[in-house]
Amino acid sequence: MKSNSIKLFVIGTALVSVLSGCGDSWFERDPKNILTNEQVWNDPNMVKSQLANLYNRITSLHGDFNTGGMCEIDDAMWSGALDQNGKNNFQYGNDYGRLWDYGLIRDINMSLENLETYGTDLTAEEKTLFKAEFRFIRAYIYFDMVRRMGGVPLITTTLEYDFSGDPSYLQHPRAKEHEIYDFVYSECEDVKNDLKANNGSQTRANYYTALALESRAMLYAGSIAKYNALYTPTLVTDGGEVGIPASMATDYYQKSLAASKEIITQGGYDLYNKQSNKGVNFYQLFMDKEKNPEIIWAKDYKNPTKVHSFGYDNVIQHLKEDNDNSSCIAPSLGLVEAYDYLDGTSGKLKYMDENNNYIVFDNPADLFANKDPRLYGTIIYPGTQFRGSDVDIQAGVAVWNSETNSYDLLNGPALGSTYTDGKTYVGQDGPQDGAQNVSNTGFYIRKYISEEVGFTLRNYEENWWPWFRLGEIYLNAAEASFELGDQDPGALYYINKLRERAGFPANSLTSLTMEKIQNERRVEMAFEDQRYFDLKRWRIADKIWNGDEGTETGNSTAVVYGLYPYRIAVAKPGTNDQDKYIFVKHRSSRFILARMFRMSNYYSSIADDVINNNPLIVKNPLQ
Amino acid sequence: MKKITSFFTLLCCLLAISSCRYDNFDEPQSVLTGKVVYEGEPICVRAGGAEFALYQDGYALHNSIPVYINQDGTYSAVLFDGEYKLVRMGNAPWERPTNDTILVEVHGNTVQDIPVTPYFIIKNASFTKNGSKVTAKFTVQKVSSSATLDDVRIYLGETLITDNNTNRTSVSLGNNIQLDQEITADIDIPESLASEDYFFARVGVKSGQASEYCYTQSTKIE
Repeated sequence: MKSNSIKLFVIGTALVSVLSGCGDSWFERDPKNILTNEQVWNDPNMVKSQLANLYNRITSLHGDFNTGGMCEIDDAMWSGALDQNGKNNFQYGNDYGRLWDYGLIRDINMSLENLETYGTDLTAEEKTLFKAEFRFIRAYIYFDMVRRMGGVPLITTTLEYDFSGDPSYLQHPRAKEHEIYDFVYSECEDVKNDLKANNGSQTRANYYTALALESRAMLYAGSIAKYNALYTPTLVTDGGEVGIPASMATDYYQKSLAASKEIITQGGYDLYNKQSNKGVNFYQLFMDKEKNPEIIWAKDYKNPTKVHSFGYDNVIQHLKEDNDNSSCIAPSLGLVEAYDYLDGTSGKLKYMDENNNYIVFDNPADLFANKDPRLYGTIIYPGTQFRGSDVDIQAGVAVWNSETNSYDLLNGPALGSTYTDGKTYVGQDGPQDGAQNVSNTGFYIRKYISEEVGFTLRNYEENWWPWFRLGEIYLNAAEASFELGDQDPGALYYINKLRERAGFPANSLTSLTMEKIQNERRVEMAFEDQRYFDLKRWRIADKIWNGDEGTETGNSTAVVYGLYPYRIAVAKPGTNDQDKYIFVKHRSSRFILARMFRMSNYYSSIADDVINNNPLIVKNPLQ
Repeated sequence: MKKITSFFTLLCCLLAISSCRYDNFDEPQSVLTGKVVYEGEPICVRAGGAEFALYQDGYALHNSIPVYINQDGTYSAVLFDGEYKLVRMGNAPWERPTNDTILVEVHGNTVQDIPVTPYFIIKNASFTKNGSKVTAKFTVQKVSSSATLDDVRIYLGETLITDNNTNRTSVSLGNNIQLDQEITADIDIPESLASEDYFFARVGVKSGQASEYCYTQSTKIE
């Protein structure tokens, strides 16, 4: 036994020494599960996959099909599962919207440095283009950080610890707020020409994508410079980490306008206008990926490798294709009323007459007749169609009560139930107060929801998320022109062009106010992760979301109201109103707490551990 | 052999028992309480609206302990004995002091009132019920010279916690209010409160410098 072991050992040793003597190559092999820097940075396809990784990690607050988030910051309430009703019952915390992603920044910096160090086999053109794309992504991330946090430390190289025992040289103070915006601008200016090789691509950054980022970021900087003056000295820090001097506003607006003008006049983009039905046209703008002339930069999805579930989450209840979710986002009456009438009058819906009596409609869709077609493209309201089927939105029936001399409003027990007269009691799509996975406002979202059969199954959707589109650039140009008083061609020109595409007649507006521009942005960019940031930069978020519960009939801008249609089952005697419809404004019992945006929410608080690790970090003003 | 085994068993048991002590310390026992005061009077706020933060130096983790202020201006926190730094956070209806740290020595139950300088306060508030209305009488005083008046509002609610976020009805008197003079204003009692045995009334004043109102005490109306 023992001698056997010894023999085995000797033979083994001999074999190993023989084999190792064979030369270096046998033991020295490339690892099968690790890619070396030399392999990655000398292969254009590898660099592209690193870029794809970073494009995929582009940050957003509640964009990129974040259903739950949209219910917190856009014109909608949550009507999905009851266990997430906190979205209708919360206060924006001091850390709401916090973004401090230096892991991502480091990955980008490392990509830039490694591309330079190891990428010897790439052609000069490839190298220039890749570097420009990395820098563009970094600029975008810094833009996303500054709009949420104010000035952040500006780190453009990888930071390495030298194990000397003193890490303090790794601590960097926050840059001034305007310095980050300036950085975003100068980076875009620096790389835009290098990005020209990507022109024509709608998913990789090109010359016009860089200009689009300039257009948006400079507009933000300009409006913060202008409107933060209202909140001085509350919302400033001594070192300028928060707050941009008002004197810089004009310059920022000019930079934004210049970028917007170049995109509009020379970019080769066009407002999407393929369909003659303007409502369908606005809807298709987000769904059509074939030669879509409006989309400047999007995050693409492709079934089956890269999918999302936005349609599954939000498809109208009775047309759902999967067995669970639906109807999570319930748009607000406030948004519906923000869409003007086609004749240019205010979009306030007329469902009550001057004496506060219900107006009776033959057909529920009549109430929404002659509204801005973008309403159809964005929201499903009573009396419309989806995927070729009529929607069935009816909250209950109205029965005349001769004792009280008014209508009693009856809400049936179940969706799709039948009243004693044999006709619909509650529609298959509700609305139903307090129910889950059925709208609580009487409205559903249409934007981004595919009408193709099968594309509202879970993990199946492949429509893309637009980061930048020409419609926004028109709005940016209009706002900057308005703020600057620029008349070439002026704010009205841009707004009217956009409204013309929406379905209004040419030159539908003859005068402009800031409120009108703000409303135009609200309706055009609904559910595009813009509303929260727009309200913030105009410094009106605390006025709109003021925590006011309003009265029972409802007039608070901080509450998400709904509008419930009722069929008249027993008409008032002497009228001809049988089986016609009335509408009742309603606040869902699921919407618990009016939205309250406090001063501290203009800049998210910085985490304690960040301050612990780096005493140079100055806290935000109200933190 | 057996001896060795039992020895090791015993050793393990001992280790197990003694190591427990390291994690098992008593929960904090000392209670820090107090009020937010201006000239000795408590300042009333929205429940959960205004906040302090407590820090304790000398430990590796230097995270803040949030302390929320009750609607009547009182606060409390259960703490270990030691020295704390109390910071008055923003988002409150009072000025952010330039030197905002107050050292608090906690030994057993400790009472520490926190002085603040509100932008506006409401004095001498009284409420009387006249049929379907409540009449409020009060005086608005400006305390902080830089403050601008944004809104004065009367609230009715069904519980002690009645404020801008939680109420049954409210009426705004706007910002065109005479300071330092008695103001009389009516508010209709809504149907939902009319049948109740009692409800609560409150007046709040908001400056343009803050998102929070400064309130009077909730007053029970029978």
